[in-house]
Amino acid sequence: MVGVLLLVKIGWRNLWRNPRGTLLTALALGLGLTLLLISLGLLDGSHEQLVRNAVRFGTGHVVIQAQGYQDTGSLELLLPAQVVSTTGEFMHGEAMKHVLRGMSPRLLASGLLSSAANASGVSMMGVNPKEERAVSLIPQRIVEGNYLNDDQQSGVVIGAELARKLAVKVGGKVVLMTQAVQAPATEATDADEGEMQSTLLRVNGIFRTGIQAIDAHVIHLPLPEAQGLLGVPDRVNQVAVLLEREGDSLMVARSLRKQLTGLPVEVLTWRESMPTLAQSFVLDEAFNYVMNGVVLAMVGLGILNTILMRVLERRYEFGLCSAMGLRPVQLAVMVIGESLALTAISLALGLVLGLGAQHYFATAGLDLRWFFKSSLPSALVFDPVIYSRLSVARIASSVSTVFLTATAISFYPALKAARTELPGALRVF
Amino acid sequence: MTELAVELKDVKKTYRTGPIEVPALRGISLSVAPGEFLAIAGPSGSGKTTLLNIIGGLDRADAGEVLVEGRNLQLLSTGELARLRLQRLGFVFQAYNLLPVLTALENAEFTLLLQGVPVEQRKERVQKLFSEIGLANLEHRRPGELSGGQQQRVAVARAMVTEPALILADEPTANLDSATATALLEVMEHLNRAHNTTFVYSTHDPLVMERARRLIRMRDGKIASDVAHAGQTL
Repeated sequence: MVGVLLLVKIGWRNLWRNPRGTLLTALALGLGLTLLLISLGLLDGSHEQLVRNAVRFGTGHVVIQAQGYQDTGSLELLLPAQVVSTTGEFMHGEAMKHVLRGMSPRLLASGLLSSAANASGVSMMGVNPKEERAVSLIPQRIVEGNYLNDDQQSGVVIGAELARKLAVKVGGKVVLMTQAVQAPATEATDADEGEMQSTLLRVNGIFRTGIQAIDAHVIHLPLPEAQGLLGVPDRVNQVAVLLEREGDSLMVARSLRKQLTGLPVEVLTWRESMPTLAQSFVLDEAFNYVMNGVVLAMVGLGILNTILMRVLERRYEFGLCSAMGLRPVQLAVMVIGESLALTAISLALGLVLGLGAQHYFATAGLDLRWFFKSSLPSALVFDPVIYSRLSVARIASSVSTVFLTATAISFYPALKAARTELPGALRVF
Repeated sequence: MTELAVELKDVKKTYRTGPIEVPALRGISLSVAPGEFLAIAGPSGSGKTTLLNIIGGLDRADAGEVLVEGRNLQLLSTGELARLRLQRLGFVFQAYNLLPVLTALENAEFTLLLQGVPVEQRKERVQKLFSEIGLANLEHRRPGELSGGQQQRVAVARAMVTEPALILADEPTANLDSATATALLEVMEHLNRAHNTTFVYSTHDPLVMERARRLIRMRDGKIASDVAHAGQTL
C-alpha cells in the first residue's frame, strides 16, 4: 500500500514537471466536461419545459379517453358517464391526492366559427372553467378580457390569431357551428343526431400562447354549452389529469387502468397521447448521446495523447525503475496514478466551470430569441427562454463517464510503461 | 566454503540487428568472491556494460551459466529477476540515476519503500548512510539542485541502503571531473570495507582502475587479463 502511495506520489509530481502543459491539458479536458454539463442541462431543461407546456396546452400528464379515441378522434366515442366520477373519487382519494395537481373533464369537437367578417375552422373544447384553470395554461394566457367564469353558462374564449382573422374583439359576437354527435342507438340525445347545430356566443376573452396552432384554432366554451350543442348532456370524451411531478405519470396511469378495469376506456400517459413529442425526445437523446460521444472522444484522446507522450519521454526513467526492481504492474500503477491525477484536476476544473455555466443558464436562461431574432418558429411549443436543469444524478453520471473513459484510456500508456524492456531502455549514450 | 558473490561459466551474448550479428561476450568465465572491489576495464564495445547487465539480470546470456549468490539467473522468470534486483542487487549508472521528481532522501529510500521497510527504519538507514558519505543536509534537495558528484553519491546511497550482496556500477565516474570521481571512489571503497559489500564497476579511466583491488581487462568480448591489485595475475 505504501508502495502504491509512493507510485501515485511520483505520478502526481510528474504532472507538475511541466505545469503549464498540465494545466492547459486539464483545462481542455475540463472544458469537455463543461460542454457535456451545459449540453445535458439545456437538454433536460428544455425537455422539462416542453413537457410542462405541452401537457398543459394538451392532454395533461395522463388522459382518460373512450377506447379507440386516440386512434380515430371520433366524436361518437364518449366516456361512459361513471368514468368521470370514478376517476374524480380515486384521484382525490388518500392514495393519489398528494400527486394530483388538477383534473378537467373535456368535450372536444371540431366546428366552424364565424363572425361578420370571416369564418374559420376551430377545435372547440367544452370545459368546466374552474377545473380547466387547474390544468390548462390557456386561462393564464389571457391578453384581453377574461377567461370563462366558474358558473358561466355561455360565452367563448378564443386565440389572438383567430380573433385577428375573424376581426372580433372582446364582447363581439361569433357563431359556432358544429355537427351533433351521432350517439349509439341505445343512447338518446337532445340534439338531432348528425344534424348541424349552431349557437351564438359572445367573446369573453382572447388568449395568446405564442403557439400558432393553438392561437389560431382552439376555443374554450362552458361544458354545458358544448354538451347542449353536440346533444350529449353530461357526457365528455376526455378527462385530462395534471400531476405535481411528471415522473409520477406512469404510476398514476397504471393505477387508473386498474381502477377503471372493465370499462371501455384508454388511460394514456403524455408519452402515449402525444407520441410525436415523446419521439422527438428520444431523437434528442440519441443526438445528445452522439454529441456526448464526441466530447468523450475528445477527452479520451486528450488524456491518451498527454500521458502517452509523457510515458515515451520517460523511457529511461521507467528503465531505471525496472532495474531497481519495480515490477511491470508497479510501473503501470505509476502511469495510471499520473493519469488519474490529471483526470481529477480536469474534472475539478470542468465541474467548477460546468456548474458555473449551469447556474447561469438555470437562472438567466438561454434566450432563443437572440438566435431567431424577431420571428420565432410558428411550431414552437416551448418558451423561447430555456432554463437549464441538471440533476445530481446527471452530474454524477457525467463525471463518472468522463472518469471511467479517462481511466480506461490510460491503460494503454500504462501497458507501454509496463512493457519497458531492459536493458534497451537504459541506453542513452 | 564461502558462496561466491558472482560466478560466470562460459557466458556468451550476441546482439542481432536484422541480418547483422555482433558478438558482445565470447565465452566469459569469472568468479567474484564476497567483499571484492573489482573493476572491469576496456575500450568501448569490449563488452563491459553487457557483462554488468547480464550479472545484474538486466539482460540474459545466450549461453553459459550466470550465478549470483548461487542462484542461476538463466532459470529465473522476469518477476523473479525483478525481485532479486530489488532485494540483493544495487545499481549505479553513468548518469541520470535519480528520479527527478523525488528528493535525494526519497530517491535513496525508494527501494526500501518497495521492500516494505517501515518509515522509521527507512529514515534511520538513509540518514546514517547520508552522514557516512557526506550527504547530510542535502536530503530534501531534488536532483536538479545537486551537483553531478552529489547525484552519484545519492545513487550509491540508494544502491547501498538495502544492504545488497552486490553493487554493479556502470562507469559511475564517467561524467565527473577527476576530483569528484576520486571522492566518489573513496565513498565506494569506504562502503566496501565498512559493510563488506561486493562492488563490481566498469571504467576506462586509468585513475579509477588503480583504485580497484582486482582489475579485469576486456577486449572484443573476452577477458584479456585478470589482475590483483598487487600485480599478481589471477
